[in-house]
Amino acid sequence: MHRNTMYRITRETMNFKGTLPTLILETLAHETSHGYRIAQQIKERSEGILDFKEGTLYPALHKLENEGMVESYEGMEKGRPRRYYRITKSGRGALTRDRAEWRELSRAMTTILGEA
Amino acid sequence: MAATITTAMATTGLDSWLQQATRCLAKDSTAQVQSEIREHYELARESAMNGGASADEADRLAVAALGDAKTANRQYRNVLLTSGEARMLRQGNWEAQAICSRSWIKWVLLIAAAAAVFSGNEFLLRGSIMLAWKLFAGGIVIGLLFAAPFLPVYTRLGGRVFRGVRWVAMLTMLGLAFGPDAPKWSWLLFSCLWMVARPEWTRASIRRKLPVAEWPRHLYL
Repeated sequence: MHRNTMYRITRETMNFKGTLPTLILETLAHETSHGYRIAQQIKERSEGILDFKEGTLYPALHKLENEGMVESYEGMEKGRPRRYYRITKSGRGALTRDRAEWRELSRAMTTILGEA
Repeated sequence: MAATITTAMATTGLDSWLQQATRCLAKDSTAQVQSEIREHYELARESAMNGGASADEADRLAVAALGDAKTANRQYRNVLLTSGEARMLRQGNWEAQAICSRSWIKWVLLIAAAAAVFSGNEFLLRGSIMLAWKLFAGGIVIGLLFAAPFLPVYTRLGGRVFRGVRWVAMLTMLGLAFGPDAPKWSWLLFSCLWMVARPEWTRASIRRKLPVAEWPRHLYL
């Protein structure tokens, strides 16, 4: 992963620190979305296992935007203005690298810990 | 009546969250955070109410889902401009301001830098090597600090090279000026360096947050 990977396991959820940008890129690789929907999709797709505080989503989005991984634009939904985010070409490149690194890490962990 | 009171309480909860999360941020950054968090809060509240929560509970859940405001503030300050950085961005750098506000200062400083280098050369020819080096270093530092706005530094790499040269020249000058007595005068050395290092640190932070396309000229220096 291009960011530090640490995780904290609570009773019901897992909080993978530093992986939020990758999860955001993964979500945006499927569809352009606004902040709230991104947060909900990460929680839904991980079946509620990956948990994060939603107030930290936007700083991560701004960082990705500063790095040129995502871009934002104003849109309308149900007559209300919304800020939408979409992944850029360099964001897709970073996501591909992150996926490869995650597979490597996951394979190494499985080798050490054994299949669950 | 009860619903109005609970909504007002929850709004106060959101306002207090926003107040903490936007602490020390620039006006534009604060407006941006308030807008995106309010938008998020409304959707979260609506979703909770659609799920059967009461208005009171929905407000509470929506604020709780945002998490710790201080953590968010720390993260926002890493990616959005703070009020101090916005001020620096507006004002430019103090070296440029000093010479651009009064044109005669520019000429005095440039002449002083040239005179220091010229005198250094003279002393070198007469054999006063230490004094010559001090004058050379002093002249170069004054030149680099105050002639910077006139130098052709327009690229990211050019800026890095310029800043590196400036720091090396400055440290060399301080080393030469204080010589073996440097530890005794360390408080003065740190005061001098602090004056230059602090705005340099702030500029580095602005460079990290702003896309290169939006950099004003003084950020390259």
